Amino acid sequence: MQTISPVFAYTFKELVRRKAWLSSAVFGLVLLGGALIVSALGQDERARLMLDLGLAAIEAISLIGVVFLTVSLILQEVESRVIFLILSHPVRRADYLLGRYLGTLAAVTLSMAGMALLHAALLSLYGWWEPGRYLAALVCMAGKTAVMGALSLLLSLALTSEAAAMAFALFFWVLGHFSSEMRFLADRSGSAFLKTTLIAFSHAAPDFAHFNYRDFWHAPAPAAGWLAWAVVYALAYTTACLALAVQLFEQKEF
Amino acid sequence: MSAIQFQRVSKIYRRSHLGRTTETAGLIELDLDISRGEVFGLLGLNGSGKTTAIKLLMGLHLPTKGEVETLGRRAPNIEVLARIGYTPEAAYLNKTLTGRESLRLFAALSGIPRAEREKRVSDILRKVGLDKALDVRLADYSKGMLQRTSLAQALVHDPELIILDEPVTGLDPLAIKEVRALILWLKSKGKTVLFSSHDISEVERVCDRIGILSGGRLVKVMRQDEWRGKADALETAFAAAVARTDGVGPIRME
Amino acid sequence: MRLRWLLVAAAAFALALFAGSRMRRLHEPRFPHLAELKTGPFSFQDAALAVAGFRAPAADLAWIQLLQYAAGGVPELPDRPGHPYEHLAGLSLRVARLDPSLHRAVLFASGILAWFHGIERPDEAAELLNEGMLRSPEQPLYALYLAALAYKKQGDTDRMIALLESSFDLPETPSTMKAILANLRQSRGEYRQALSLWKRIQENDRDASEHARARIKIAELKILLAQSGPTPKKY
Repeated sequence: MQTISPVFAYTFKELVRRKAWLSSAVFGLVLLGGALIVSALGQDERARLMLDLGLAAIEAISLIGVVFLTVSLILQEVESRVIFLILSHPVRRADYLLGRYLGTLAAVTLSMAGMALLHAALLSLYGWWEPGRYLAALVCMAGKTAVMGALSLLLSLALTSEAAAMAFALFFWVLGHFSSEMRFLADRSGSAFLKTTLIAFSHAAPDFAHFNYRDFWHAPAPAAGWLAWAVVYALAYTTACLALAVQLFEQKEF
Repeated sequence: MSAIQFQRVSKIYRRSHLGRTTETAGLIELDLDISRGEVFGLLGLNGSGKTTAIKLLMGLHLPTKGEVETLGRRAPNIEVLARIGYTPEAAYLNKTLTGRESLRLFAALSGIPRAEREKRVSDILRKVGLDKALDVRLADYSKGMLQRTSLAQALVHDPELIILDEPVTGLDPLAIKEVRALILWLKSKGKTVLFSSHDISEVERVCDRIGILSGGRLVKVMRQDEWRGKADALETAFAAAVARTDGVGPIRME
Repeated sequence: MRLRWLLVAAAAFALALFAGSRMRRLHEPRFPHLAELKTGPFSFQDAALAVAGFRAPAADLAWIQLLQYAAGGVPELPDRPGHPYEHLAGLSLRVARLDPSLHRAVLFASGILAWFHGIERPDEAAELLNEGMLRSPEQPLYALYLAALAYKKQGDTDRMIALLESSFDLPETPSTMKAILANLRQSRGEYRQALSLWKRIQENDRDASEHARARIKIAELKILLAQSGPTPKKY
């Protein structure tokens, strides 16, 4: 376990020093500016538009960032053979994978936090201030980012091609937001096979539809305890993906 | 007492493409015992199995058959890896880090306590002549500097067993002389050194014993007294023992 | 092959399934199903955003397009001659089905269809309000507007206006609806009341979109009041 922290630290440094990370943070800020401009067209709903479009921009940038970084996280180390030196030290493969994953998540969360701070500042300039709910939305977005990162990492190890892993990750992203629809279709389906398949897919895919607080912010608030279960869900799903990734990684030769 | 033991070790690489599986032998029935305090050279042409043997020792590959032991424990073993230093054939280092950060990482991975780490890192970087470039990113290092950093990471934790894969390939004559001096210094400290090379003249100057690999088989093992003082004895033995397996014919002088 | 991590994955996945079922039990988002979306020429935009988990932003963009249509039309949905605002109800339903919590779209469109000068389509407005009420029963303005529509059908304009004015200062009331109310007062010759409503619009930061019009109307109403002389005292 003691080797997780040095792997975490070097991954974090490596990613934050990459131009791609800085560009994505800058692009996120540009999107926030765009949200500010577009929201001016919303008349009476300006505050809502600023909130929704800003959070959507932050989430989209974080999603693209985490998928892009995690699919290449191990494959690039294998390709550049940096992994030879790391794994020839007393590092458990599980610790290495976890350190790399957490370092990436920290780098993405840092850019997410930067964008969120600016966004919240802009919103407060327009008289909007609900820090508690805003934080809840950010927690859910961070949960989605964590799940997507773990899933992309797993896919990158299972598929060994960055492009294929990225495509499948985005497919799972969509499928995750489709979970309610799949259950609805399963309810309506007359075929037992289709019903079972849809239910199985709706459970296997991450249930983003139900912890997408950013999206149902304006609807009546969820019951107390919902956020706690959402966090448990994200952590458990992430753990499942990471454990599978370790299982695959332990059998790999370099 | 053995530092390294290969017991009837075979490594078969399997590759599947379009439903067809091809098998290539990396090592065949390797039996080898290297004693503690010994300097052992692995000689062989490209594709003879030198790097495969080293990767098996480091746990980067798993044997298809047989057993590999390092420092009395079955490889790969996390505790034993802390007592081994390894330098691959090229400096596979993360170029976003500085020399100091890179060494700090490897020192931490090797389990050196935090309190000792800084001193060890500074000492080893001074020892390999990089004390003036501590805080320069590795991306700005020359090839020679990278090679020295790679050597430094293998030695920072004061290992008992040092494994050097092609340590002199591509180095200038001055650097080759320094590597030779380093190997002899390690020997004087009672360390076990295993290194692979194409360079017969280097091997014969520093090794206690050599093993010649050809087509994945250990075809000959020689002691120092079999070549010391006998002009071209090692080269003659090598030429007689190896056969080209890479499909390249000899250069014809007619 | 060691299966330790597979067991960890299975246990974590079982916990995820349990936590997921608790999460769903505590909150089920009330978005209409994708098959119910009313997208028209914007189907790609709406579907792409909805399946990627951006329904609220999709509704926001649809709301902007609704406003653009109301302000002069969008090229994708031209009105036939003599059929002003013929796509207004459809566009507001599009917003409501993407995200029913954007209540203002239904209130805005139903306000125009029922009370805008020269547009007499109260049935379309009632249909919209009924759907809005079905999807967001917690929004009281839908019922209030439906009641006002009932008064309108009965010809009881006084009670209709009084009811609508009772919601004047509620944050959900669209600025356009406030302007419609002020104009209704003016059309009945009630300049003083109309002036008061325009002044309230001008003082409210939320109604910034109507501020320019309010300035003009206030000036116009002041002239009308000056021309009509002092209001007779009531005894």
